[in-house]
Amino acid sequence: MKQAMSPEEIKTQKPYLDWSLSEDEYNYISEKLLGRLPNYTETGLFSAMWSEHCSYKKSKPVLRLFPNQSARVLQGPGEGAGVVDIDDGQAVVFKAESHNHPTTVEPYQGAATGVGGILRDIFSMGARPVASLDSLHFGELDNDQTRMKVADTVRGIGDYGNCMGIPTVAGEMTFDPCYQGNVLCNAMSVGLMDQKDIQQGRAAGIGNAVMYVGAKTGRDGIHGATFASADFNDEHATQRSAVQVGDPFMEKLLLEACLEVITKHPDWLVGIQDMGAAGIVSSSAEMAAEGKSGMDLNLDLVPQRETNMSAYEIMLSESQERMLLCVNKGHEADVQKVFDNYGLAAVTIGRITAGHQYVLHHDGQVVCDIPVASLTDDVLEEASAEKKPVRISAAEKAPAWQPQIDDPAAVLRRLLQQSTVADKSSLYQQYDSQVRTNTVVGPGSDAGVIRVRGTHKGLAMTTDGNGRFVYLSPKIGGQIALVEAASNVIAAGAEPLAITDCLNYGDPNDPEIFWELHQSVAGMAEACRVFDTPVISGNVSLYNENNGRAIHPTPMVGMVGLVKNLDHVIPTAVQHPGDQVYLVGKTGADFAGSELQKMITGDISGVLNPLDLDQVHTNLTNLLAQMQVGHVASAHDLSEGGLGVALSETLFKTELGLDLDLRFLPATQLFSETPGRLVVTVPAQHAADFAAALGDGARLVGTVTNSHWLAARLADAELNMNVSELQQLWEEALPCQLKSRD
Amino acid sequence: MKIAIIVFPGSNCDIDIYEALATVCQANVDYVSSKQTDLTGYDAVMLPGGFSYGDYLRAGAIARFAPVMGAVVKMAQQGRPVFGTCNGFQILTEAGLLPGALKRNDCQQFICKTVPLEVVNNQTLFTSQYEEHERIALPIAHADGSYYADQATLDDLEDHHQVVFRYAAENPNGSLRNIAGITNRRGNVLGMMPHPERAVEALLGNTDGLRLFKSLLENGRVKVED
Repeated sequence: MKQAMSPEEIKTQKPYLDWSLSEDEYNYISEKLLGRLPNYTETGLFSAMWSEHCSYKKSKPVLRLFPNQSARVLQGPGEGAGVVDIDDGQAVVFKAESHNHPTTVEPYQGAATGVGGILRDIFSMGARPVASLDSLHFGELDNDQTRMKVADTVRGIGDYGNCMGIPTVAGEMTFDPCYQGNVLCNAMSVGLMDQKDIQQGRAAGIGNAVMYVGAKTGRDGIHGATFASADFNDEHATQRSAVQVGDPFMEKLLLEACLEVITKHPDWLVGIQDMGAAGIVSSSAEMAAEGKSGMDLNLDLVPQRETNMSAYEIMLSESQERMLLCVNKGHEADVQKVFDNYGLAAVTIGRITAGHQYVLHHDGQVVCDIPVASLTDDVLEEASAEKKPVRISAAEKAPAWQPQIDDPAAVLRRLLQQSTVADKSSLYQQYDSQVRTNTVVGPGSDAGVIRVRGTHKGLAMTTDGNGRFVYLSPKIGGQIALVEAASNVIAAGAEPLAITDCLNYGDPNDPEIFWELHQSVAGMAEACRVFDTPVISGNVSLYNENNGRAIHPTPMVGMVGLVKNLDHVIPTAVQHPGDQVYLVGKTGADFAGSELQKMITGDISGVLNPLDLDQVHTNLTNLLAQMQVGHVASAHDLSEGGLGVALSETLFKTELGLDLDLRFLPATQLFSETPGRLVVTVPAQHAADFAAALGDGARLVGTVTNSHWLAARLADAELNMNVSELQQLWEEALPCQLKSRD
Repeated sequence: MKIAIIVFPGSNCDIDIYEALATVCQANVDYVSSKQTDLTGYDAVMLPGGFSYGDYLRAGAIARFAPVMGAVVKMAQQGRPVFGTCNGFQILTEAGLLPGALKRNDCQQFICKTVPLEVVNNQTLFTSQYEEHERIALPIAHADGSYYADQATLDDLEDHHQVVFRYAAENPNGSLRNIAGITNRRGNVLGMMPHPERAVEALLGNTDGLRLFKSLLENGRVKVED
């Protein structure tokens, strides 16, 4: 096929500007990297590979703030997913990825393919995915469009994960007007493997085969808007785009076939990588760069399900359920046989070559001949302007908002019915949370817990993001995101190991938004160091805007922790009457960005109070040590809605109650959201040890009772609430809000 | 006693049944590909849950044509135990080894949760270790679990004590007469939507499914003439 434009036409007409390659970048490529004008296909490849999504050219300076090593990290960022040592020659592999824009446009397929993509990242490392999580942020449930988006997103996640047979064990879902026009859908996958099977996305060894496996290539996911523009004539009318469509059955077969090759035939395989964003070009170029190899591909050999695809389309297609393998020469037929047994295609599309050129043939022509590194390593990093938002400077000078609460019981009832707080079981019960029979703790707790079969170990996992806090005070908000995840993992009785993240922000060309990104990452990084939880994988999603309004900056932390002994997994709910109730962490007047503030004022305002990370870390570490010796009966992290909501939740689905002396707290602070706090119950015989170990970090506040009532004396009020009534309000709120009103 | 677990493309609860039988019950179990055509040497066969062939047509509608199904039918005809849970139940109805059909849940959604069940018939080789009318709880995880058959078939099932499990509280999927599991007339083929294999270990919070496998292991070695 002819190139759509000549190199000279590209130079003068500048179509690359629509593909978000800047003129400076184009000139740099022409003059410095190639010494000639790139042709049409090459220009397209550069624009994809130099996009923020593939190159992190804008966010890289900020991402360098993250620690990514610890004694346990076996593989940090840069591969399909990060890998962490969990002893006994085993490793946990995990990563999260955003699929915000596809989910906003087409919630069902966007969410489904988000799950599919992250699963491939895990099994491309040689690990079997054992659990999925998600982090979803929607607009308010006051309109049918959002209700439909929630229903379709949940169905998409469920249909893909359920069919794959991978349990969805935890997640989060919040609602705020800022996500109305731009949904956030972040999917996380956790895999298990033997360390000996760790794979790399690497292509090396002159003459070795580049093999394409899995589904055929169509025009899915190619920049539709670009090609629909009027610049293209009839000859190129086929250059349209379509939504990516997921096929979980195909992916299940691909998973089994890839793992069979990886675990049973390690001598056949040099490297393997998912074809994710920017499809064949990103996977092949990154693999060649990693192996410091040249690569020669014949695009006519790529399995295609549409006709007359151009080289550009073949290379940039984001068709799902495909992987790229580098196979030792002589074993091509062996690999083919394994995939054939699963009914899957495995085709040799090229070879590793001497030198460092990336050469593509199509229709009898060489359509690309450029240095591999020019696509992957030579990307121009972009310095970004930063500016502290005026709203934050103004908020720092304004007096802090203080709630007035006359009737705390009424406030608690209302809080339990807020979409973000209310019971999500009507949604997460659409996810199979138990398949593979390893789920010790499923959705609805602080963290999901799965056992590592054949051992006494478990893995606890959580996703946490709170855009409200980050919006008000990016740095402290970033710290809180990490503290919240650590609190959730520790609440389950696990030692935090490491994190993955999705950094969801607006347009980074806005200096205020870049400042938010920089500050919040700095806050997260600082907290990561305190908790020794390095960032081992993740992604960046910028340009989350709608009609010029950005979302709240919403970094999502996905954390995995190690349960050393499954006998000491800690439940959320209270267990025995007579157990002592402790509040871990000090409570302050932290109302900025709280659910209470949102509920009462309809918006959020103010700035966050500074957080003593070392104190929080000490408290949580001491608490975990008490859990690991069996002194703790239950633990629940305090988050949206504060102590009042958390206390209620520890009683739901039990027949027990609480009798509490909270006279050190004014009623308002029952709903304050000071981070790093948990409510913990301790059997009486361990109370002295617990109190001694926690010291100032915990305060005895009452006992678990046999009556199903939540009773508390506050400094200026008394509560005595029927738990059944509270549970009913909490359970019925979301199903009611999700019903169409039309 | 030797048990075959059939692995269809898209099966995903095969490992769950395997671990329940092999690890928890110390039974002799093999995975058998659905491409096999011979089950000689096996005393019982298990059809696991999952999404065979993606369930892109009706659930189980493609799997019934898998090469192994001839041998499964033969085992059923010989009177050997044949057990299907979830997708396995759907395949058994599609294959005609059990009457009726499993339709889309009446709520139109996939549902995963633990539901109360009544053991209606404890006189089967799968349920002998339960009490009659015993209340148990097992997880369900399906989108197409609404049991349907015509009135005559339903009456016939009840008359011959073929209804083995019934939903005991809410009916989660719209199944007629709250049916959660049935056998064939002879009693050697059991299909059920709930997942007993997910309820065999205290660590995972529920052991109500364990006695089903223990009953099978106690009673499942059936003498047959070829």
